[in-house]
Amino acid sequence: MSMDDHSAPNVVDLPDAEATRALGERLAVLLQPGDLVVLVGDLGAGKTTLTQGIGAGLGVRGQVASPTFIIARAHPSLGEGPDLVHVDAYRLGSLEEVDALDLDSSLEDSVTVVEWGEGLVEHLSEDWLEVRLERPRGGEGAADTRTAALLGHGPRWAGIALPS
Amino acid sequence: MSDAPLVLGIESTCDETGVALVRGLDLLADVTASSMDDHARFGGIVPEVASRAHLEAFGPTLEAALEQAQVRLEDVDAVAVAAGPGLSGSLAVGVASAKALALGLGVPLHGVNHVIGHVAVDALVHGPFPETFLGLVVSGGHSSLLRVNDIATDVTELGQTLDDAAGEAFDKVGRLLGLPYPGGPHVDRAAADGDPAAFAFPRGLSRPKDLQRHPYDFSFSGLKTAVARVVEGFEDRGEQVPVADVAASFSEAVADVLVTKTLRACEINEIGTVVVGGGFSANSRLRSLAADRFADAGIELRIPPIRYCTDNGAMIAALGSAVVRAGLEASPMDFTIDSQMPLTQVVMGATESAA
Repeated sequence: MSMDDHSAPNVVDLPDAEATRALGERLAVLLQPGDLVVLVGDLGAGKTTLTQGIGAGLGVRGQVASPTFIIARAHPSLGEGPDLVHVDAYRLGSLEEVDALDLDSSLEDSVTVVEWGEGLVEHLSEDWLEVRLERPRGGEGAADTRTAALLGHGPRWAGIALPS
Repeated sequence: MSDAPLVLGIESTCDETGVALVRGLDLLADVTASSMDDHARFGGIVPEVASRAHLEAFGPTLEAALEQAQVRLEDVDAVAVAAGPGLSGSLAVGVASAKALALGLGVPLHGVNHVIGHVAVDALVHGPFPETFLGLVVSGGHSSLLRVNDIATDVTELGQTLDDAAGEAFDKVGRLLGLPYPGGPHVDRAAADGDPAAFAFPRGLSRPKDLQRHPYDFSFSGLKTAVARVVEGFEDRGEQVPVADVAASFSEAVADVLVTKTLRACEINEIGTVVVGGGFSANSRLRSLAADRFADAGIELRIPPIRYCTDNGAMIAALGSAVVRAGLEASPMDFTIDSQMPLTQVVMGATESAA
């Protein structure tokens, strides 16, 4: 863990999918152009659902769905805010540069949310917000409950109060 | 149809390079090269590998298509190319090649929608379309219900998946079950020996409240998670995962929800014909369940043979041929690819669909 990592993650309990979406909307308030958000979690942990909330909070165009197939999808802002670039590294072998994705939106002007990007994309920026989503395993626990652990990395996130 | 214009179709949206020649509704040649094996070597899709593979495959694929059709390049009357949606780098190779050919030959160029091509190709197999029909496009990247009044000029998107596409859910469940990539065909094969009623998996967006808000939309994410948890349950108890039963019950849930919602859309819109296309329409349970339930409902079901369901040049040439028949203007030579081309937009340029 580097010096710029900010203590322990904030853990948020999410009783259902609506709560996951609402957390995304709360995060959207904090997000600025150029920000990188790395979503970590197993299949079905709620990564796309959280991104739907971020998209709703930012006020962007188009249905925020899983971008696994086309790898990245850009959602232009409907207002004054940043665009949302939704990347899914699930099918990617490697990601040397986000430029290789040939996105229409520029990352400096967008909020970039990456699913399945842990260990692949952190080198793209000195700052990123890590969101670790967990769901109950196997037959334990209610179907819809999740937890989110939020942790900022780098100077951009120093002193920023994350939802808890 | 022998005096109809000869249309060359070029497909390069993902990892298949396809070139086909169509005259009217007659398919004269259809040649496909795939870079799937290259990606398997890298353990996933590498967009730059896909682009380079298209570049290398295009020339030989074009030559082979001309040879198969027994025509010369100079005989081509119009060029159609998939302009989106798809991977940007891959699309760029096909579009640049198409522009060069159209310019060199002095013929019109039509940038067309790949997803609508999945529907259009059926006219080459089952003949002209009725006045209005529904298109169900199911693939690794799409699960969409289209209302088609005219395949060249009037397509509207009734609904789509809110999260995962049907084929994507199959790929992910395949990985959960330890089956090789791509998961679609492997899960389909495993399901053949399983009990489709072994597990009661959820049908997404099928409760009355959801049907009201999302009559035409699909959701496969909750189903995928339910499968993951069942598989984990067996693993955590140290028991062997009943792969065939999980695959069969999962396949049943996907096919059931696709067929049920499409039939419901037919009722609501009083439409009597459905055309199914896209790579996932190769799925055997979807085909058998759709055949039974559409027959019971008295609705005509058109699904092209499997080789026309996956990505190919024929679908682009078929849509190009329809666009030429409709008398639409050519796309401007400076049109750019659109990796997220909306499904209501049939062609690139000034002649947008009536939607």
